Amino acid sequence: MLANELYGLRKDLRERGIVFAYSGYVTENVLSGVGDALKKKLAIEDADTKTIRSVFAVFVEQMQNIIRYSVEQIPPFDMPPTADHPAELRYGILTIGQEGADYVVHAGNLVMTSDVPRMRERLSAIQAMNREQLKSAYKEQLRSGPDEHSKGAGIGFIEIARRASSPIEFDFMDIDGKLAFFALKAKI
Amino acid sequence: MENIEIPATTRTPAVAFDFHNNHLKISGESYPEDVTSFYSSLLEALDRYLDGRTSGTCRFDFELIYFNSSSAKAIMMLMEKLDEAAGAGMKVDVHWFYDPQDETMHELGEEFGEDLQHAAFHLENLSR
Repeated sequence: MLANELYGLRKDLRERGIVFAYSGYVTENVLSGVGDALKKKLAIEDADTKTIRSVFAVFVEQMQNIIRYSVEQIPPFDMPPTADHPAELRYGILTIGQEGADYVVHAGNLVMTSDVPRMRERLSAIQAMNREQLKSAYKEQLRSGPDEHSKGAGIGFIEIARRASSPIEFDFMDIDGKLAFFALKAKI
Repeated sequence: MENIEIPATTRTPAVAFDFHNNHLKISGESYPEDVTSFYSSLLEALDRYLDGRTSGTCRFDFELIYFNSSSAKAIMMLMEKLDEAAGAGMKVDVHWFYDPQDETMHELGEEFGEDLQHAAFHLENLSR
């Protein structure tokens, strides 16, 4: 039974083409460790340099998005982190897999429902940009510096879109009116 | 002033600021856990080195394989300081080395280089 259940979970992931899956609290050390395994796996698969770097770059930005912006955190989001008590742990899910010839990185985390319209607007804009527009948006974001509210959000999404081989996909799902689940997909 | 030598780690680039020979270089990968703490001391050191200089030469090599979006801001700030020094009369050469197999790093080099008004910018193939 035990083996059956766990194998079932693994099988489900594999059938979806997922090679790496992480769901839980994410720290910078998790990013380092999973990133290291990812690089090795890509090198063994003999992926070309550009693909390896792009998959890795998308992975780093996605992980750091979770670490910075997930509102599922300890201490809880309704106890805002302070300088003395910074948020220690953020919860999210990230998978890396393949769809045909493409690598796919998915990431998801909880966000405040009140932030959804702003994120949707930003992500739709990025989704519609061509390569040249992404290049200038990247530079514009660098020059303007992080705005208070988003702590620099935006440039991470732009970097993901630049490294992706097709437009990014995103979605939001309401959880309880106050919280929503944010999902982002990038193909390389 | 004291030269700065920091070996590379998985997530931070090697730093070789040879102030005595006016040759500064960062190389490797950059996606530090804490971008501000890694780059702030380098930016301060560069400020002290460039402070008040209106002549002389300086070469800065960027030999980066990969950097994340938060490191990009720090890289831009390094470039801005170098460009200001060039504007004040120093002869500054910025060399950006890219891996020809990764066009993104080539593009990023072009984009950063475009912003330099006074410093000379050289985009170079890493494999040569």
